[in-house]
Amino acid sequence: MEVGSSQRSLKPASDFLSVFQPVVPCLLSLLLEPFTLGVPLSLADPINQAYNLALYMQKNTSVLLQTYLQYQGSPFSDTGFSAPELQLSSLPPAAVPFMLWRGLGDGERLIQTRGAFSALAQHLQLVNDDQADLNPGSSVLLSQLAAARLWAQGLMGNMASVMTVLGVSIPPEVDALGPAPFGASAFERKCRGYVVTREYGHWTDRAVRDMALLKAKYVA
Amino acid sequence: MEAYFYSRLLSKTGGNKRMSSSKFQWLSSIIFLYLVNQAHGQSRGVPHDLNCITHNLKVWDCSWEALPTINHGTYEICVINSSYPCIRTEKTHFEIPALTFADHEIKINSIHVSGNSVIKFILNERNVSLVPATLQDFNLTADFSTSTLYLKWNDNGSVFPSHSSVIWEIIVQYKEKMEVATVATLNTTLIGKDSVHHWNWTSDIPLECTPHYVKIRYYIDELHFFGQKEWSEWSPLRNISGPPVKENYEVFPRDKVVPVGSNMTFCCVVGEPVLSAQFGKESYSFIRLDRRSVAIKINNITVSPSSGTNVVFTTKSNLYGTVVFAGYPPDIPRKLNCETRDLKEITCSWNAGRPTGFFGPRGTNYILYERFSGRNVTYGRAEEHMNAIHQLIFQMITGQEIYNFTLEANNPLGRSEAVILVNITQRVCPHTPSKLIAKDINSTAIFLYWHLSGNFANINLLCEIEINATYSGQELRNITVRGLETSSYHVYMDKLMPYTMYTFRVRCSSENFWKWSKWSNEKHYLTTEGIPSKGPDIWREWRADGKSVIIYWKPLSLNEANGKILSYNVSYWSEEKTRYLSEIPDSQHKAEIKLDKNDDSDYIISVVAKNSAGSSPPSKITSMEIPNEDIKVEQIVGIGNGILFHWNYDPNMTCDYVIKWCNSTRSEPCLTDWKKFPANSTGALVEYDNFRSGTRYNFFLYGCKNQKYQLLRSILGYTEELAPSVAPNFTVEDTSSDSILVKWEDIPVEDLRGFLRGYLFYFEKGEKGTSKIQGLESGRSDVKVKNITDITQKTLRIVDLQGKTGYHLLLQAYTGGGIGPGKSMYVVTKENSEGLIIAILIPVAVAIFVGVVTSILCYRKREWIKETFYPDIPNPENSKALQFHKSICEGSSTLKTLEMNPCTPNNVEVVETRSVAPKIEEDTEIKSPVTDGPEEGSDAEPENHVVVSYCPPIIEEEIANAGGEEAGSSSQVIYIDIQSMYQPQAKPEEELENHLVGGAGYKPQMHLPVTSTIENIITADDLEKTAGYRPQTNVNAWNLDSPDSPRSIDSNSEIASFGSPCSINSRQFLIPPKDEESPKSSNGGWSFTNFFQNKPND
Repeated sequence: MEVGSSQRSLKPASDFLSVFQPVVPCLLSLLLEPFTLGVPLSLADPINQAYNLALYMQKNTSVLLQTYLQYQGSPFSDTGFSAPELQLSSLPPAAVPFMLWRGLGDGERLIQTRGAFSALAQHLQLVNDDQADLNPGSSVLLSQLAAARLWAQGLMGNMASVMTVLGVSIPPEVDALGPAPFGASAFERKCRGYVVTREYGHWTDRAVRDMALLKAKYVA
Repeated sequence: MEAYFYSRLLSKTGGNKRMSSSKFQWLSSIIFLYLVNQAHGQSRGVPHDLNCITHNLKVWDCSWEALPTINHGTYEICVINSSYPCIRTEKTHFEIPALTFADHEIKINSIHVSGNSVIKFILNERNVSLVPATLQDFNLTADFSTSTLYLKWNDNGSVFPSHSSVIWEIIVQYKEKMEVATVATLNTTLIGKDSVHHWNWTSDIPLECTPHYVKIRYYIDELHFFGQKEWSEWSPLRNISGPPVKENYEVFPRDKVVPVGSNMTFCCVVGEPVLSAQFGKESYSFIRLDRRSVAIKINNITVSPSSGTNVVFTTKSNLYGTVVFAGYPPDIPRKLNCETRDLKEITCSWNAGRPTGFFGPRGTNYILYERFSGRNVTYGRAEEHMNAIHQLIFQMITGQEIYNFTLEANNPLGRSEAVILVNITQRVCPHTPSKLIAKDINSTAIFLYWHLSGNFANINLLCEIEINATYSGQELRNITVRGLETSSYHVYMDKLMPYTMYTFRVRCSSENFWKWSKWSNEKHYLTTEGIPSKGPDIWREWRADGKSVIIYWKPLSLNEANGKILSYNVSYWSEEKTRYLSEIPDSQHKAEIKLDKNDDSDYIISVVAKNSAGSSPPSKITSMEIPNEDIKVEQIVGIGNGILFHWNYDPNMTCDYVIKWCNSTRSEPCLTDWKKFPANSTGALVEYDNFRSGTRYNFFLYGCKNQKYQLLRSILGYTEELAPSVAPNFTVEDTSSDSILVKWEDIPVEDLRGFLRGYLFYFEKGEKGTSKIQGLESGRSDVKVKNITDITQKTLRIVDLQGKTGYHLLLQAYTGGGIGPGKSMYVVTKENSEGLIIAILIPVAVAIFVGVVTSILCYRKREWIKETFYPDIPNPENSKALQFHKSICEGSSTLKTLEMNPCTPNNVEVVETRSVAPKIEEDTEIKSPVTDGPEEGSDAEPENHVVVSYCPPIIEEEIANAGGEEAGSSSQVIYIDIQSMYQPQAKPEEELENHLVGGAGYKPQMHLPVTSTIENIITADDLEKTAGYRPQTNVNAWNLDSPDSPRSIDSNSEIASFGSPCSINSRQFLIPPKDEESPKSSNGGWSFTNFFQNKPND
């Protein structure tokens, strides 16, 4: 299932990768290795890969959010726009009390994060479709959304590798969207995209910390 | 009841004009009814106020008022004199069929327990009101997407007579306050049967925002009904409410697409208070529609960005919004053009025109519809190009040539279309021809093949072939070819040049020209060789010894050679024999034939050029020339790049003219090149790339008679003359005391660089090395020039020169191109000895003569001379008049200014016979002005003013003796630092006098108006004006400190130069630094005016 979805995303990803030419080899190795090697030989490699990918994703999340808002018109494109009150019931929020997060077991923490990126990948596809409708000429935005979805899937794969080594069972992927998205108005779609790109950033931040925790525990 | 009828009467009178004609009848009826009531009813409390209405004009519904006492009784209603049966009822109203137009008497019999009472009414149609039945059944629907209400109802027209006019009044109300949104009126006509009517209305507020209510009533204007007509009652209110609001909030309208400039209302249905509303970047104040709904109204909406314009309502806890897309309906497609490239498919292209502002699903869709075939093609959104030419491809239909295309553009706001009717065979713009191939037929013709995709079987193609050759330039050939289905075309190309590299390219159009295709790629092709078209251009020259003749020929040009020339065949023959030379390769263009010029036989020499295709026609020339004794050498100068020759037309010249030329300095045989001109020509311009300016060429003009050449003219020529490059070499052959003979040599032809026109000879008297003759300023009077125009002259004698005088000579040659450099020479003429002797002897003789005469005269007049020039002079030292008292000089110690008069024997006249007394008196007079001076000067700076007293030598000695006692205040001279030692100015008295008076001669000092120091300065200024000397600085600006004052010691060097008692004017030391006691320093002839007259020695 994951492999199939990653293959589907190869074409838009190639468009985007042409924009980030210098990072292509590194990125490809990060994305493809979990799918080709099967079970990693050690725990350090998948953790490092997942950590590095999350770190790389983290550098681009704010760009994605700003690019997204720029194309949605005022008030989204206004400087300093923020609407924390907007949430999506289909997307779990990344915010969690610190002690609760710290108290989670490694397996549970990975399950939550991986599940979130699974939902994010689906939502990013939805947002990409929405924007192809609303902003068909915004190739930059569309390619960034496609890349973000690819990265989300890549991080899911890396996390699955870590979970496999840790002996954590990988829960089946669930349909986060359901039939609801089709009747959304343009404004709802814009808000939905905003929440998705925002939460993508939050979850990426959390993934970096997750992996840093694992790295400190298992790799160092 | 009276009032009721009365009022009804009044209203009816005013409201219906149709009834006014029977007003009188009306009034009488009312009065009658009134009277009947008075008579029969009211007095006993029986029914009154009978009121009749009709809803359908068929049945009258009458009712009346009755007193409560009889409410429980029974009424019998009868229409008098009518066939209608009486009606018995307990109610107070009854229905009867509509009666005729006449008055009808209605009798109502009230039957109750207390007894019966009868009352009669007179009823007429005019007393009946037509009140249509209330419209109960109507259909109200809404389209929320467009905020439109749709009302549908049945007019129940089958009940009423047809052609009655009906007025419908519809009221739409909204908001909780039931404000009237709109009031609409419709006019319809009844047609005798039920008809359904429609009405719709679009609200400016989305229907979802607040409930909308609708009610309707109507009025039937039946012309033939004389009763009163009234509006029906309002129908019951119907309302339209929005769909249930999801998630407890909603903003409307959602995703609306509107034209730019629209006015819109957006509302937010939300349970919490709305804090602000924003449309795009602008904030708007909102209006409250009802408890849960607020709205903003936007006027004149501008075009939206791609993702639409956001409308956002903000509450305390959330933000709600919607998006509106504002743009334009599609513009009419512009520049719609349909053409075909291959007669298989038609490409229609157009420009979208004004941008709509819509993208994605709201963008413009195009449908290309062909009316004759009924087929259409849709423009897919994937093919959409922004701001570019759009195009659709329509597959052609077999056998159809005329196409009527309609291009329809549509978007959510509307549609537009453009139409074009084309005969597609006249709109052919073929593909670019490709695969160009050439195949040769012969050296001047080929077949040209190319490929042109398409099915052009039914038309002819017009193709243009561009032919480029290096030497023949560009040529265009248009050909018509029959269109093929196979796409392979070929044409026959002739009239080509052999052995020529051609470049071909092709483009095509239909015969009914529409557009050219693009040019095909170029095809380079070299045609095959052909035989040379003509023989080479030949000439022959005899060797100087006449033993052989050299035959020259020029290589054939490319278009003459028609191939690569491999060799030349040379042959010659006479009447007796024919001989051939061996084949000469192409690299060689001459051949030598051993012939004897003295042999009388004339040979014909023939040259043939050969290439791989064959031999050229032979070129022939005879070996012998026709003699011409009358040959003169002429001169000619060219016109820059060539030389123009003229000759007279000669009918005898049957072949051609030849001009050959060579550089005149080259050795024989003289042949650089030649040119041939037609026999009928009378002139020629000979141009030659290698002609050089300043080079002399020999030209020979030959005429040809019967294949034999005759020399006509021999010409020396320059294409352009230049000035000689060297100077003529000249020498002085002979010189005398008054002439010089100069001789020069010819300048070599190669240095002459033009035809010699003459010489310029310059000569100038002057010292050696000082000549200015090189400037060749002929205008100078001291430079003489001779222009020698006789170029045969080689000598020149210059006469009338001065003996033993140096002369500069310069000789230049000049041509038509200018004056060349000159050679100069310096020559001294020989001495004239006789004149010199005379010049010496005459002055010597004159001098001797004068000396002798003078001696004689002096001797004879010696006494007179002695008396006149050397009289005896008495000794002035013996004169007492020159003895001054010591006190006079001592008194000067109190003086503050310069005092000179007492000490200055300016006016001393030695008269031995006079007594002493007068002399003293005279001294006193002289002294008096001096005593005035110190008084003036003591007021100013007594210390700085040191009196310099000048005394005769005797008095000065006395002062020197008393110097120890009165050093500080006496008028003695103080010696100061002297930086430079001056030699004492001990000039003789005569010399001093000369200095004193300058050019004005001697002036005694007593004549000077010396009264004060300032006056002295003024006097000095005056003297400066009269005398020759002028001080170098402003005398008035000088400090009048005494030169020997202490201040002078401390001052700088310039001032220090005054330290010695010297003249402030001349800076001459008054007392020499050395030899202070020298009597010369106290020369009695010294005067204060010397300050201003003596020139400083430094």
